[in-house]
Amino acid sequence: MVLKFKKSMKTVLLSMIGLLMAVSAIAQTGQTNVKGTVRDVNGEPIIGATILLQGTTVGTATDMNGNFTLQAPGNGVLEVSYIGYKSEIVPIENRTNIQIVLHEDTEVLEEVVVIGYGTVRKNDATGSVIAIKPDQMNKGLTVNAQDMITGKIAGVVVTPNGGAPGDGATIRIRGGSSLNASNDPLIVVDGLAIDNNGIQGVSNFLSTINPNDIESFTVLKDASATAIYGSRASNGVILIQTKKGLVGMKPKLSYNGNFNVSTPRNYIDVMNGDQYREYANLLYAGDTEILSKLGEENTDWQKQIYRTAIGTDHNLNISGGYKNIPYRASIGYTGQQGIIKTSKLDRLTGSLNLNPSLLDDDLKINFNVKGMYIKNRFADTGAVGNAVRFDPTHPVKSDDEPFVSQTEGYFEWATYNDDGTFKSLNSDAPRNPVALLDKRNDRSKAWDLMGNIDIDYKMPFLRDLRAHLTLGTDISHGKQTTWISPTSSTNFIGGGYDGYTIQDKWNRQLSTYLQYTKNFNNQNFDIMGGYEWQRFHREGSYYGESITKPDYIYQSDVINWATHNQLVSFFGRANYSIMDKYMFTATVRSDGSSRFSPENRWSVFPSFAFAWRMKNEVFLADNNLISDMKLRLGYGKTGQQDIGSDFPYLPVYTINRDGAYYPFGDEYYPTSRPDAYNPNLKWEETTTYNAGFDISILNNRFSASLDYYYRETNDLINVTPIPAGTNFRNKVLQNIGSLNNKGVELMLNGRLIDNKDLSWDLNYNLTTNRNEITKLTTGDQQGYYVPTGGIFQGSVQAHAVGFPANSFYVYQQVYNSEGKPIEGLYVDRNGDHKINEEDKYFFHKSSPDYIMGLSSKLIYKKIDFGISARANIGNYVYNAVAAERMNVGPNGVWSPLGFFENKVMSAFDTNFTGGSGITFMSDYYVQNASFLRIDNITVGYSFDKIGFISGGRISATVQNPFVFTKYKGLDPEVFSGIDGNIYPKPVMTVLGLTLNF
Amino acid sequence: MRKNKKINLYISLILLGIGLNSCVQDLDIQPIDPSTVQTFNEPQVFAKVYAAWALTGQQGAAGNNDIDIDDEGRFSLYRTLWVTQELPTDEAICAWGDIEVVTLNRSSFTSTNPALKGLYARLYFVVTIANHYLMQTDGSSDADLIKKRAEVRYLRALAYYYLMDIFGNVPFTTEVSSTAPPQINRSNLFAWIETELKEMEPDMYDPKTAPYYRLDKAAVWLLLSRMYLNAEVYTGTARWNDAAAYAKRVIDSEYTLASKYKYLFMADNAGSIDGSSVNDAPNEIIYPIAADGIKTKNWGSTIFLIDATRTDGMPTWGTTGGWGGNRARASLVKKFFPDGNVPESTDLTVEANDDRALLFSAGRTLQISDVTKFKEGISVQKFWNIRADGGTTNDIEFPDTDIPFMRAAEAYLTYAESVVRGASPISGYSALQAINKLRERAGANQLTTVDKDVILDEWSREFYFEGRRRTDLIRYGYFTGNNYNWDWKGGVANGTSLPSYLNLMPLPADDLNANSNLTQNPGY
Repeated sequence: MVLKFKKSMKTVLLSMIGLLMAVSAIAQTGQTNVKGTVRDVNGEPIIGATILLQGTTVGTATDMNGNFTLQAPGNGVLEVSYIGYKSEIVPIENRTNIQIVLHEDTEVLEEVVVIGYGTVRKNDATGSVIAIKPDQMNKGLTVNAQDMITGKIAGVVVTPNGGAPGDGATIRIRGGSSLNASNDPLIVVDGLAIDNNGIQGVSNFLSTINPNDIESFTVLKDASATAIYGSRASNGVILIQTKKGLVGMKPKLSYNGNFNVSTPRNYIDVMNGDQYREYANLLYAGDTEILSKLGEENTDWQKQIYRTAIGTDHNLNISGGYKNIPYRASIGYTGQQGIIKTSKLDRLTGSLNLNPSLLDDDLKINFNVKGMYIKNRFADTGAVGNAVRFDPTHPVKSDDEPFVSQTEGYFEWATYNDDGTFKSLNSDAPRNPVALLDKRNDRSKAWDLMGNIDIDYKMPFLRDLRAHLTLGTDISHGKQTTWISPTSSTNFIGGGYDGYTIQDKWNRQLSTYLQYTKNFNNQNFDIMGGYEWQRFHREGSYYGESITKPDYIYQSDVINWATHNQLVSFFGRANYSIMDKYMFTATVRSDGSSRFSPENRWSVFPSFAFAWRMKNEVFLADNNLISDMKLRLGYGKTGQQDIGSDFPYLPVYTINRDGAYYPFGDEYYPTSRPDAYNPNLKWEETTTYNAGFDISILNNRFSASLDYYYRETNDLINVTPIPAGTNFRNKVLQNIGSLNNKGVELMLNGRLIDNKDLSWDLNYNLTTNRNEITKLTTGDQQGYYVPTGGIFQGSVQAHAVGFPANSFYVYQQVYNSEGKPIEGLYVDRNGDHKINEEDKYFFHKSSPDYIMGLSSKLIYKKIDFGISARANIGNYVYNAVAAERMNVGPNGVWSPLGFFENKVMSAFDTNFTGGSGITFMSDYYVQNASFLRIDNITVGYSFDKIGFISGGRISATVQNPFVFTKYKGLDPEVFSGIDGNIYPKPVMTVLGLTLNF
Repeated sequence: MRKNKKINLYISLILLGIGLNSCVQDLDIQPIDPSTVQTFNEPQVFAKVYAAWALTGQQGAAGNNDIDIDDEGRFSLYRTLWVTQELPTDEAICAWGDIEVVTLNRSSFTSTNPALKGLYARLYFVVTIANHYLMQTDGSSDADLIKKRAEVRYLRALAYYYLMDIFGNVPFTTEVSSTAPPQINRSNLFAWIETELKEMEPDMYDPKTAPYYRLDKAAVWLLLSRMYLNAEVYTGTARWNDAAAYAKRVIDSEYTLASKYKYLFMADNAGSIDGSSVNDAPNEIIYPIAADGIKTKNWGSTIFLIDATRTDGMPTWGTTGGWGGNRARASLVKKFFPDGNVPESTDLTVEANDDRALLFSAGRTLQISDVTKFKEGISVQKFWNIRADGGTTNDIEFPDTDIPFMRAAEAYLTYAESVVRGASPISGYSALQAINKLRERAGANQLTTVDKDVILDEWSREFYFEGRRRTDLIRYGYFTGNNYNWDWKGGVANGTSLPSYLNLMPLPADDLNANSNLTQNPGY
């Protein structure tokens, strides 16, 4: 296949180039410079209106002031158009300055949205599709693409993974439909499906896409919209379109940039040096040996590891039309420090888009290429937990021994021989957090190149038939090098560490389809059928060695790995609508994946949807209040095969690596282990039912959308226990179980004030999602559960039938008459006079019951003011930081393993000493983390012509300024529900500038 | 326009052509990872059956776990076996807060105990790999292969032995298939193991003729003698004569006792294989589980035996870690100091007049009032990463010390106990002679009389902290009930009575849920 593929691609490219060269320049005869302005009925300039010279492909667009310039013959005719307005035909009549007025189109908007494999008029969309165009005025505010949709779309929850620069986010659409398989949505950029699995050394797989290049985000939520993507679409689909140039447009250059400052928002409350000394003296009164190990300082370790970080972002883009080829090119640079010392990111992105239209618009070609180069330095996030844990009475650096000769002066806990001489660093003790950061140089360099060509061809012999071909590829390379000093506490015994991890990826995609459209009488009909081929290839290698001790072997040799998987699909869709009132859509897709055995390889995913455009009915057609009203019903099936393993159905053997040889006699022999496998593994399937209602009033000034959905996943793929003796492991990937998600989504949009000088837009969305596991094992065992949510000791979450996935599974705390918890005393829920595993119960979960987003934009003349806020209600978090540090007894202060450790002040609320062995499994630590977060507040000022700058805007923004919550930990927004060593999210102040030339 | 038409046609044909190329057969791609293979490699899988006892996965010390469990090294086969057999007894008690430690310390056994879950999973891993090996090599007449098959059958029988001893009524299968195995009852499993061992015994190497680390006939005899010694517990019928007979075969074999007790637990206990001309432990060790600081490492092997018993201030033990967890209960120490007067010493072998009293009492108390304080209770220093010949070990973190999993000394005690309980002495060899042979090696005084309880104490003196105590206490009826309440038995400082159903461990909840053929042991 590869050979044929290459050959065909070559032929296409050659013919394309041939065509481009064959096209000649437009004859220029009797041209004059025609200028003009386009305004609306109120006299306001219309920005971005299209001016086309009739009968040619020459055109331009109006600028920020509504002005345009065009080379045209005096007897030419101009076609002026803009979305939402009636197009105007304006003969030039030898004028050199033409004033044009456009009237609003009170007919329904012809707004077009992107759907799977094509576009559809927004009003014809039968599925649950939300399209947003990133607000022009918010440019430069965001560092990452996912920030643009955070809190904006009902049903889409974007939870940042952490506060490190470049950190990605976990995106969930309508809850997670899997337990073990990936719950990430499919992301398609300009028709190319990207690999969610990321690149080595890059924390966010959306890094390649510069937010300034994004034209629109379209989220496909229900199965009737996503089923066309079949096997990868069980968790929703996000379609990203990047900006393109316009035909005949003069080159337009614009710059976007910002400068930002980040500071840590808050710290965990711990004891200071004086408080600690006082407390230690209290507990160990008289024990001079232990008390002599206290220091004299007052070190605030958290302040030692955080800093005020600065960052900057610059983007330059140019778009226009060169002869017949509209183009857009951009480059961007981001340099960002993290608030944890030593962490930072440098990123360079570039993109080029060409979309010529040839052969009288019959052949439309879209060529995209995006590249990214990124350099990261990662801070050891272990410093966060160690800063809370480390003894505040000791200094960061000391002039004493053994520190000067052994650890470059950093204070660390050490072990000594019986004669008092230095033996080693105490590997059980907390580590000096500043030393952790300074002595670790963990860097990555990665690049990514994504490119695709879309060819759309209207058949000359049959004008209703259109063929489309997309060829795309994504190549990336990442290398992460880790260097740890031989004097660091983490690698003291090993003599330091010097290693690297390399990962290379190469994905290829080919999709092609034919579409036939027919309009007759009052009916519209189109049918489409296609084929898709996708191959993913990943490989890598890693190695590490000691710096000062060649005999300490971390790894004896470079380890290489490689894997790949393949998807082949056939799909089709039919759309049928009558009188613009009743619309039907049916899709079917058949997917084959290389991850399942030939018997289980293929599965069919159908969907049906119906929409009723109530506005076009007689009883509403003349209604002036209601501008649109639509009812949508949909049903569909989607599949999931992203299970983290590429050949789970094949029996394979794993050969041993270092340190796992076995001797016979005086020789060491390699070993080979048969791996567990499941030949019966098959697709996980999700069936979705969706009912939706859209309404907009007062000429689309206010609109609302309400959706109800029910999603059921069957044949859940999960790693579950199997009977001992039947396979080579106690657990294996199996299709076991089912779960469902149901919920309601509400979106309200409105322009509350709409005046010449003052406008106020408000967007509110509300999502509820309830997740429940309905089946988990082969049998019907009561009380069966799968523990998840591992912490430092055991696990505090579990999956069980009748409860949401990852519910907390803990003991019920008993309190005394003053409301203080009694350590280790839990409710004997089954009344058997024993406190054991059977007394645990399911207590809340990490996912919220309600999620709300609110954004407001106020524009007064040239000043704009915006606020975005989000709230999660009903989410709980296990405060692992508090639980791990709860022991205020003597051996929680001086550990028998030979060191002092600090206490968090919250530990004195409970005064536990950890003796029961299950103190940390209390529901006391599962805390309500409902929050209201103000994501950002922005003020901006737009200005007109200054010199050769045609316009621009300056802005000031503060990101993450306020979080209102009762949760006592650092940050209530923890996706997994376990609050351990997180990289906290900073408060960021941004000064932005946009310039258009 | 004609030019355009031709080009149009050209393009349509190309697009159509591309579209019709169906590459469905590309779905048959195969794995390309260099570290996995799709073919059975007999010598390598054979090595894995042995390695499963010594390692936790395909990456040393950890990183590619054989089973699905959190904390690979903490739940290794040897370590889970050790904590199950030692912590609920009169020998060891651990200071840590780990859930399996805290509950085993006080004999609180539940079906979700992670150590029991880990032990069960690891033992069945051995069984399944062995079943696979035997299926793949079935029908071979190669002499070498016949020996190897016998050894694999032995290791499978040994795994079933531990399942029988600890869990009693377990799922049983001799092939790898997806049908859930039926539950076998304890005495039937005993009968199967007995038949299996006797059947393949002739195919094993003669004693001390196998390459070191591989098993021979003496291993079969020793296991049979152990089974017969405990037969009354396993089947209800005592088999003292059979126990004595097989124990005597080991005593009379080429295996002898190491010249010094301590040698058995030192870094060069593989003798000449370790390049040592001083350490003669290989004379006695019948089944050494290998460990090496560089080539055979796991966190739950001898590193656990060494590091978990040490802390700062104890004589240099040869590794960098001192985890301060396991130490002796007062009852253990009283085996060497019956009157309870324990002097402060850095090496109690001197004061006890017994080379086996490898204990450390400086800065320690005999009695434990707070289980979580390591320095309450006498420390044990039995295992070392120090070479008897004074040489350097391969690594400073991971030990070279092999686990002396089965050694000839056991045969002497088995023989003595069987005779005391009524077996006929063989060739006039008396119980007293057998006991005194061990005491002579240990530099302890000779006994003049011996009875059942003295033998139980002698088991402890010889084998404490080697992972067998629970079995011995159950055989004597002391593990539960009221007859012997050692310190901290049942979580009470002076000990308390325990119900008899605790003599059998509960089957892990995971398997009960997955296999509907299983019923839980009574009492749980």
